[in-house]
Amino acid sequence: MLDVALVSLIQDMSEKAGVEGTIQYWARVGESLAKRMGKEAYMGWPSFNVALREGRTAFSIEGSVTALTDLAITDVDGDVVGYIYALETCVFNPTTVRIRYSVGELPRADRAVADEYNNSVRDTAVCNFCVIHQRFREEVSKNIAIADQQLDCIQLAARGFTGETKIADDSMKKIGINPEYVRSLLRNYACVYAIMMKGARLKGEEED
Amino acid sequence: MSKLKNDTRERRALIDDNPLVDVAACLFLEDIADKQGASGMNNYLVSLATSLAKSMPVEEYDTWDDFLEALVSGESIISAFEEVETITPNCAVTKMCPFTRGWQEYTKRIGEFSKIHTDVAEYYNSVYKPCVINSMCIIHQTFRNAAAERIFIKGNPLRCANIAAVWEDGTRKIAPDEWLPILLEKAQITSTDLTMILRNNADVWVIYTD
Repeated sequence: MLDVALVSLIQDMSEKAGVEGTIQYWARVGESLAKRMGKEAYMGWPSFNVALREGRTAFSIEGSVTALTDLAITDVDGDVVGYIYALETCVFNPTTVRIRYSVGELPRADRAVADEYNNSVRDTAVCNFCVIHQRFREEVSKNIAIADQQLDCIQLAARGFTGETKIADDSMKKIGINPEYVRSLLRNYACVYAIMMKGARLKGEEED
Repeated sequence: MSKLKNDTRERRALIDDNPLVDVAACLFLEDIADKQGASGMNNYLVSLATSLAKSMPVEEYDTWDDFLEALVSGESIISAFEEVETITPNCAVTKMCPFTRGWQEYTKRIGEFSKIHTDVAEYYNSVYKPCVINSMCIIHQTFRNAAAERIFIKGNPLRCANIAAVWEDGTRKIAPDEWLPILLEKAQITSTDLTMILRNNADVWVIYTD
């Protein structure tokens, strides 16, 4: 109910404060949640991945997340510095359905907010809810340390309620993953992102 | 009635909370309270719930029975987010608070529910009506009252009032003694019925038209 109530506000908010205002609003909601969830520390990637599988990390509040351990991210020395992770179902899918059956349709601001985010922040949003998700994950990763090293989260791809996809080619190149492979992951998953050691020297960055 | 609405599992999915947003929204409300106090938080909650109800379509029913059928099946806007049963033609109960899952997720991932959520309820109880337990009740009951204004039975607007609410931790809020006999009479239940109903329901409310 609260999710539908918040969404019912975004049209009004976008008209009064502009779509930029709505982006800031959602970003603050995601940021505030992440900051309040507290810090986490893990011995290494295996313990983090087990915690994720068991739903113990802050990332798990979004739903069932799979660590794609076959997709390790390596640095220039060939050391594993992160993995690709995939969210099975977007937590906002049921919200979209609830809106359909209670209010009727998503507010027009949904598209406008996503477009503005894609133009002014980064071209990775398929709907207005992506603003919360992406900001939330960025902040959460700052609170988690693996082997005493802070994490970083990079948005790679998302599939929206209507099937629209967004793939961040630049980020994919940076971590050395083929965009077509990630595209195929979107058949089974709603959102794909990378979690890695902050400041890791990646092969893709060296080439740049 | 749509097939989707008839399917219990699908209906459950329509009622279930979005834990990410519910927890995020609770924390966001706490931020508002830090800056604007309980009254600012209360204003936000009331406008949030009113805005939601106003965004939903107006309803008209030919008979009271038609309305009750829509209410129980979840087809009415007033029961869009909760599973409702009727005890008498004028007494409805909410089986489970729609904010339960969000609250459970909050206690699991953040910790104890912030005191501001009950402080704002005290503010609401002293300024509006003494019938809420916490911030979630403010949203819920404000929404229900605003939704009722959009429902017409034989041309008359629906009226509703909360008789009692029970939160997950067992905290109860029952209408004040001076109101209770009138509400119970309208609901066609006794005070003993009320205590029995409260054992396994989250909310008891009266519905009627003038």
